[in-house]
Amino acid sequence: MAAGVEAIDYAGGTLARAQVGLWRDGLRRLRRNRLALAAAIYLILLAAMCILSLFWTPYNPNLVGTCPDYTLPGPGHPLGCDDLGRDTLSRLMVGSQVSLTIGLVTAVIVMVLGVGIGLMIGYLRGVVDAVFALIINTFYGVPPLMVAIVLYVLLGPGLINIIIAIAATSWMDMARLVRGQTLSIREREFIEAARSSGARTGKILFGHVFPNALGPIIVQTTFVVPAAILTGAFFSFLGFGVPAPTADWGGMASEGFSPLLAGYDPYMLLFPAVFLSVTLLAFNFFGDGLRDAFDPRQRR
Amino acid sequence: MARTAPATAMTVPVGDPVLEVKALYTSFFTDDGEVKAVRDVSFDLAAGETLGIVGESGCGKSVTALSILGLVPRPGRVVAGEILFKGQDLLTMDRDELREIRGRDIAMIFQDPLSSLNPVHRIGFQIDEAMHAHNKIPDAEVKPRSLDLLKRVRVPDAARRVRNYPHQFSGGMRQRVMIAMGLSNMPEILIADEPTTALDVTVQAQILQLLRDLNRDLGTSIILITHNLGVVAGLCRRVIVMYAGEIVEEGSTEQIFDSPQHPYTWALLRSLPRVDASRHERLRSIEGLPPDLIAPPPGCKFNPRCPFRLDRCRRDNPPLETVGDGQRAACWVTMRRAYAEMGAATITDTRPGAASGVRGSGIPAELASQTPESAGGAATPEPEALPHD
Amino acid sequence: MLTRGTLIYIIQRLLIIVLTLLVVSFVVFVVVHSLPGNAFISQRVHGRTLQLLLHEYGLDQPILIQYWNFLKGAVQGNLGVSLYIRGEQVTPLVLRELSVSCEVGGSALLITIGLGITFGVIAAMRQNTWVDYTVTSFAVIGYTVPSFVIAGLGVLIFANFLGSITGGSFAYAAVWTGTYGTIGELWLPALAIGLYTSGQITRITRASMLEVIQQDYIRTARAKGLRERVVTIRHALRNALVPVISILGTTVVGILVGVLVIENIFGIPGLGKEFVDSIRFHDYNVTVGVFTIFALLIGLSNLLVDLLYTVLDPRIRY
Repeated sequence: MAAGVEAIDYAGGTLARAQVGLWRDGLRRLRRNRLALAAAIYLILLAAMCILSLFWTPYNPNLVGTCPDYTLPGPGHPLGCDDLGRDTLSRLMVGSQVSLTIGLVTAVIVMVLGVGIGLMIGYLRGVVDAVFALIINTFYGVPPLMVAIVLYVLLGPGLINIIIAIAATSWMDMARLVRGQTLSIREREFIEAARSSGARTGKILFGHVFPNALGPIIVQTTFVVPAAILTGAFFSFLGFGVPAPTADWGGMASEGFSPLLAGYDPYMLLFPAVFLSVTLLAFNFFGDGLRDAFDPRQRR
Repeated sequence: MARTAPATAMTVPVGDPVLEVKALYTSFFTDDGEVKAVRDVSFDLAAGETLGIVGESGCGKSVTALSILGLVPRPGRVVAGEILFKGQDLLTMDRDELREIRGRDIAMIFQDPLSSLNPVHRIGFQIDEAMHAHNKIPDAEVKPRSLDLLKRVRVPDAARRVRNYPHQFSGGMRQRVMIAMGLSNMPEILIADEPTTALDVTVQAQILQLLRDLNRDLGTSIILITHNLGVVAGLCRRVIVMYAGEIVEEGSTEQIFDSPQHPYTWALLRSLPRVDASRHERLRSIEGLPPDLIAPPPGCKFNPRCPFRLDRCRRDNPPLETVGDGQRAACWVTMRRAYAEMGAATITDTRPGAASGVRGSGIPAELASQTPESAGGAATPEPEALPHD
Repeated sequence: MLTRGTLIYIIQRLLIIVLTLLVVSFVVFVVVHSLPGNAFISQRVHGRTLQLLLHEYGLDQPILIQYWNFLKGAVQGNLGVSLYIRGEQVTPLVLRELSVSCEVGGSALLITIGLGITFGVIAAMRQNTWVDYTVTSFAVIGYTVPSFVIAGLGVLIFANFLGSITGGSFAYAAVWTGTYGTIGELWLPALAIGLYTSGQITRITRASMLEVIQQDYIRTARAKGLRERVVTIRHALRNALVPVISILGTTVVGILVGVLVIENIFGIPGLGKEFVDSIRFHDYNVTVGVFTIFALLIGLSNLLVDLLYTVLDPRIRY
């Protein structure tokens, strides 16, 4: 028994040290990646704007008739106004709240859900694994956006329900990743040592397996954020978004399409489209940088 | 398989040089600095000749061969020198001219037959393709010739096998396919880069026999690149020994085996397993590692590993000097010099394993620091064909 | 080369597809029928009339019986009737829309494969040059920027801008006029969908080519004196395509999602637009029908991808 405990301590110690080295090394590589750094700076500015919009916007974002309908960009209204005379800049600022909430909250839910399911099926294997394999494959058999939309309609309108619908259709990749990690880690010696010394399953999973799979999990999570924002934008764009008059980028872009097709105001589409695209790019670049820095095996 | 002494394989008449390599320098430009993989390498290859290039891995022998065909992978390139094929400089040719030479006039077969054939194409197609790439063989003759070549390299059931994929062949059979491919355009020179290394011993012997027959029957010049002197002995008429990107010794196979002049050649010979070595002798590997080619040691590149080094070896790089009829060596301490200048005729290298390949001859006393133990143990060897056949 | 093993494999896979279809259709059927409201309520039908209609369409029966009835019809290829346009048969409707979506999605797939593989190869051949950086940047933008943004920019440039500088004589007509699009109408929707998926294909082709180009058999091919183009395409690309094929399944799903969004922008009367409309109008049977067709498409394309492996790589046999 004593020998077993020693073995764990020893393994834990070296692993902890190796992990510290890995994180420091990774941070250094991340700092060297200029694109990822630029993305990080943009995301910080975006977060600042989002927080600012909670307290202050140039105009009331929902006040109809702030300015004449379809005002083009100009002094007073730098990004112009929409079809109901609402200030576009104010609406864009407030719209970031919806996008960021969808992205971040979904990512957290997906992480918890995916890690939980992944650890469970990876550790228990057998029937549980087979059942989840069937569920996951069924999910992969239909376009996730369609499932999410049906789910959202079932749940009823609201930001929370959008998030639930998106999370319910995006956990599979994370679960598969964690399952794979669990399967490989559970075979390593220090897990054997922990098990032989009588550690409980829960402690093994969350005390040993989870920390060792943390790098890939974090990387995967950063990619869930832009995917969720994109799905959220598709929702609003197809008319299944947050209820009016709350502003969000996908919905604003959708409203901008008819004036664009009619040919008299491209800006209603252009500005939300640009914000949305740049934000998605920033999250992807940042995720790429994280992956290169912390998960070198997956580097392309 | 019968043992073949090198002299008997040399029945092919040897003509004018078809390939002249002059002062070749090839380097790899890595992030850490310039790796000088080949430095000042010069040699000739006569028509119908069989030349062996020997050395440890990383000594520049494969890079020399790749330089000839312009196949040095990035970040490497030929820095200086001339490679004359029938008087034309391959290094100044444009891409298409060189491409025409490749595979048609100079063919090459590679070390690992398992990875050198494309897994997604039928082997018949891969041989045909080598002929279609050049207009030497009329299109109508390509398919029958592929079949014929496979029969010639003794692939059994060739008519059926042409339609197979590489993964359906064994390693030895794949190397035969590679050779068939190399011969398809009746090249004047066949460069074989470690053609037997990845194969087991009996298959090695068969492949060497095949190369020997091809040289005799078709008069193809062969450059054989290997780290195994035993393989060279069975096939080559002349041998070049390379170390750290330079030629350290050059001579006929008999000279190299009977009176090697460079300590590195001795060391290589000693690492060769021999059937006639006495039981007490150990196989000796060469101690130490080849030098770092980014910052090689000053003086002779072999000096850190050389048991016979002088102070001078640490300062000056010895030039390649003629030490006998057609034999050249780059060493301040050659055997002949030991005889002539130091009067060391009676001193014998008696270090354990000395008999393995080295004629028991004089080593200067002050260099061979050990005391003689059993001078009689040094046999006079005949070069052997193949180590294990 | 249809060996016995391959045939057995195909049959197994088809059975799995049928199983998936059963699961998908059941779940969707139950979920869709639990959605609040129904087609008749949104048409302001109430009271006695509503009861009669519900009875006529079998909607007053227990959900499992309804599903069983649906299944009996579906096996014979009858997906029921539309509740919104009453009396309209779902099967011919969905099939017609499928053909429209196939026109859009198929073009997008062609664009995806064509652009993706071409640019992936070019980027790999010119690794670490400005060509490579440009192509990779466009690939990243392609698979990051939402398809409706690309569609919007396309309209802005090719309809509005081009229209204004040519005085309207040469411009993209953004709204689909007939059932099937002409080439002039089709290219922008197809491109908006295809750029997303082709970005992924470009990335993976490039990575795969860079790996293959290091292989010994490429050196052999060069040593034979083959032209560089032959080496690249016949020897490198053939091998590099194997990992590319493995993500084609994901690509098809991506294209279907793109179809869903883009059809609604350009008013293309395909399955994607029908799906959104059917949900909006509570036209359950159509929703279930569209879902089933999409699941079938994905299942079949995954099977096709797996069979493509055996064509590309002789070492893979089932």
